[in-house]
This record gives sequence, C-alpha cells and structure tokens, in this order.
Amino acid sequence: MLKIQGLECGYGRMKVLEGINFEVGAESVGLFGPNGAGKTTLISAVMGMIKPWKGSIELEGVRIGGAETFTIARMGVALVPQERELFPGMSVEDNLMLGAAYIPHAKDDIPNQLEKVFELFPILKERRTQYAGTMSGGQQRMLAIGRALMSKPRLLILDEPSLGLQPSIVAEVFEVLKSLKSSISILVTEQNVRESLKAIDRGYVLENGRIVLEDSAEGLKTNPHVVKSYLGL
Amino acid sequence: MGPSLRRHNLNIQAVKMAIKQRKAIIFAISIATAVVLILWKPTVLIYGLQAAGLYAAVAIPMGLVLGIVHIVNLSHGEFMMLASYATYTVCRALGVDPLIALIPAALVTALFGWVVFQLTIRRALKAPELNQLILTFGLAIAFSQIINLIFTSQTYKLSLEYSSMSLDIGDLSFGVWSFVFVAVAVIYAVGLQMFLTKTRTGKAALAVGQNPKGAAIVGIDVYRTYGLVFALAIGLVGAMGALFLTKSAIFPGVGSPFTMKSFSLVAMAGIGNIPGILGASVLLGLAENFLRSFRGTRDWAEIVYFVLIIAVILSRSLKGKKS
Repeated sequence: MLKIQGLECGYGRMKVLEGINFEVGAESVGLFGPNGAGKTTLISAVMGMIKPWKGSIELEGVRIGGAETFTIARMGVALVPQERELFPGMSVEDNLMLGAAYIPHAKDDIPNQLEKVFELFPILKERRTQYAGTMSGGQQRMLAIGRALMSKPRLLILDEPSLGLQPSIVAEVFEVLKSLKSSISILVTEQNVRESLKAIDRGYVLENGRIVLEDSAEGLKTNPHVVKSYLGL
Repeated sequence: MGPSLRRHNLNIQAVKMAIKQRKAIIFAISIATAVVLILWKPTVLIYGLQAAGLYAAVAIPMGLVLGIVHIVNLSHGEFMMLASYATYTVCRALGVDPLIALIPAALVTALFGWVVFQLTIRRALKAPELNQLILTFGLAIAFSQIINLIFTSQTYKLSLEYSSMSLDIGDLSFGVWSFVFVAVAVIYAVGLQMFLTKTRTGKAALAVGQNPKGAAIVGIDVYRTYGLVFALAIGLVGAMGALFLTKSAIFPGVGSPFTMKSFSLVAMAGIGNIPGILGASVLLGLAENFLRSFRGTRDWAEIVYFVLIIAVILSRSLKGKKS
C-alpha cells in the first residue's frame, strides 16, 4: 500500500527526517514518538504538504512524493489531521459530503457512505445541520474521522487522534479504529501508546527524525525501551 | 451529556439569541428610517436605493474574492472600467445595445480575469498581504493607463432612450432605469448565495475560503478553485461594466472610486458576508443622497464612505480591545 524508502525532508534548511524506511500494508500501523520527533512531518510528506528532499514515497507502486495534496487525496489517502481542519462555517452534513465529493471512487456513493458514518458516530446524525465550528472538540474529532471515511479511503492516516480529548471519547475513537482495521489500511501517530497498541497490528518508533524501532504490537508492548519511555511502567 | 458539553450548548443558544435580537433591532431601525424618508425626503430614499444597488452589484464580487481567495483586489473597479470600454467599442462598431453585449462582456472579462489570476495573482498568494496589495494596485494603474493611451482621458457615453425613462408620482418625478442596478444586486446576492450553498462547486469554494488546507485534504484543487472564483467575480463585475455604460459616461479613472467604495462596503459587512454588503450599500447610498439633498452638505457626499469605513474600523478595534 504505502512504501517509503530513504526519505529525507524538513522545513527550510532544517532537516527533520532522515533515512526513513517505512511500510504500511493491508494492516493497521502505529507511529510513535515524543513531541518533535517528526511524526507530523512524515505525514505531511506523505500527503504532499512538504516536498521530500531525498528518497521515494509510493502508493500501490505509484510514486506520490512531491505530488499535490489534492491529487494524493483523490488517489485514496484520507487524512485526519491533528488540528482537524474542518470547515467551521458549514454544516456537519456538508463537511461530510465534501469528504467524498471530489474523490473519484467515492463521489457517486455519498448517501450510502453518509449512513455508514452516521452508524459509526450517531452524534453526527443528531447534529447534521449544526455548524462544525460550534461543536465540541470531541465531536469535531469524530466529524474529522467521519469526513475522512466518506472518501472510502485505501489508506486512512490519523495524526494524534486522541489529542485533547476526554478519556471516554478517546476510547470511542479507538473502538472505531479497531472496527475499521479489517477493511482499511490505517496509519496512526499517537503519544497515547497504551491505547493505540490495542488497535494496531504493527508499529514504528520515531525519535529525532529516525526510525529506531519496528515491531508487532505484541513485541512493542514488551520492548524495554517502549515500556520505559512510552508506557511509563 | 457532560457539564462542559451542556455549557457549550448553552453558549450556542445564547449566541443565537443575541444574533436574533440584533437582526430584530436592525429591521426595526430600517423600517423606521424608510418611513421617515418617505414622509420627509422621498427622493433620498429613491436615489439612495438606486445608488445602493449600483454599489452593491459592484461590491458583491469583491466580497466574493475577499471571502474565498482572501485578497483585496485593488484593481476591482478597473476590471469594470475595462469591461465598460470593451462594451462601448463593440456597441459602437456593431451598433448593438449594451444589454445585448452584457453576457459576452461578462464572459470575456471572466476569461481575462482568469488569465490575470494565473499570470499574476496566483504567484502572490503565498506572499505577504502587502505584496498582494501592491500587485493589484499596480494592475489598477496599468489598466487605467493603457485605456488612457488608447482612448485618451476623454469621456464616452452612449445615448440610450430607455436609460432616461422617468416616473411621475404626484409632484415627484424620478428616473427609474437605475433600479436595474438594485435588481442586479439582488440577483447577484441571491444567485451567489445559492451557488455557494447548493452546488458542489460552490460548496467547494466555500470550503476553500474557510480552510484551504482542509479543502486540499478532501481532494479539492485549491488553486483551481481560487482561479474559478476570481474569474466568476471578474465576470460579474464585467457584466456591471456593460450595464454601467447604459447610464453613465466612462473615462479611464471611472473604476477607481468603485474599488474604494466596494472595499469599504465589504469591510463594513464583514468578510464573506454577501447579504451584509446589500445592507451596507443601502446605508452608504442613503447617507450620500441625504447629504446631497441639502445645499450646504452636497459636496460632502463623496466622502461618506471614508467616514463609514473609519467608524467601522474604530468600532472593530474597540470591540477587539474589549474582548
């Protein structure tokens, strides 16, 4: 699905990522690391928001490194950004509809997708006419995930989905991720490692712009470095 | 429902209530003003509304560009001036009426707007706002100077019977053709509102205006949308250029005051508030014509928009300080 080889990129002259080799197949993959490790930069590079300096990014064998964000989205990569990036002055339903309206393989199936998203997040159905900007943080996060799912993604990327949410909503979000992982490839970056290890098959640890560890979810749970630095045990 | 969510919902209710109250107050003041003017100075109401229509029809496309592309187009009025000259030339050469040339004028101006956007404005979108202002100001100067070179500073006007139609009601006699601007302004406001809220392209444009990064994430080509919206706005102002020619004389500097007035109306209404531009235009049109109705204040009418824009900026600054 997604294959990154020898990726090097950054902002201005500042190098953030170096020698990144990374792969997401038909599975759910976690990307962990402390603040400033480069998780969001890696996602930005995959989504075409920053251009790679070196290396390649491929989606199902097609090079997407350096392509425009909208092109990558139309190829089936859906992003749930840390900042949600919703359309605050538009209704919940319009936000969801726009998630699919410009995606070639999803635009003709909007009513069905809408029903599926409403099944996953019933609160969005209740608030379908409400402006997105007037919703609470947790509801906005659900809307951002729902909007991404509207595009029938081949690869769903979630950047810190639990950030700033109360524990009950975090649990709800991860339950949804667990229910999705059989049908969609998922890449999730998280600082809440404990919760995300329950929802992923495999994970990478990114520190100072380099991948320092790669293992299965079970392997990561018992890895001394992960246990000490991320699980706080 | 948790306490924070309940508090959040209560806040939303309070804001909705405040908006309703404000709308009711504005409506009551508008009705009272209209009644006073009908009884005291009906011509102020008639010509004020006609002027408001013209101002709004020119300002609405600027509001569209500012609300979605987020640039202040200081060459806005000059695009209208170019369309007026193009229409004049075609009407003279082919002997057709400007109303027949209106749609072709709009299409050609829209195409020209798209080309100008792609060649110049698109490249300045990521630059600081000052660069964008300088760029569009430069375009305004270039357009008016090119017209000056080709047509000289002489004024041109078409003589059209229908534009001097008048209506007599009792002792009152007034021109009616300028009400066409009111109709166009309403059509623009309603049409754009429908376009932005009911069509896929319109919703995409609205999404781009609210969050370009979010729009790209859902597969919308942000720069293509910017180009489309800019071309649409220039097309609308181009149609106004053709219509303007039916009533007024044109000269190279005719567009510039419209840029300034449009900007002040858009600023008064608030970014992206198209119906608000209609209201602000009525206020400006009435205020100008009210001053014109007295001999002592006639010459002050042209600076009303300055006073209004200063008042708006001051009140927003004070509100900002308070919050």
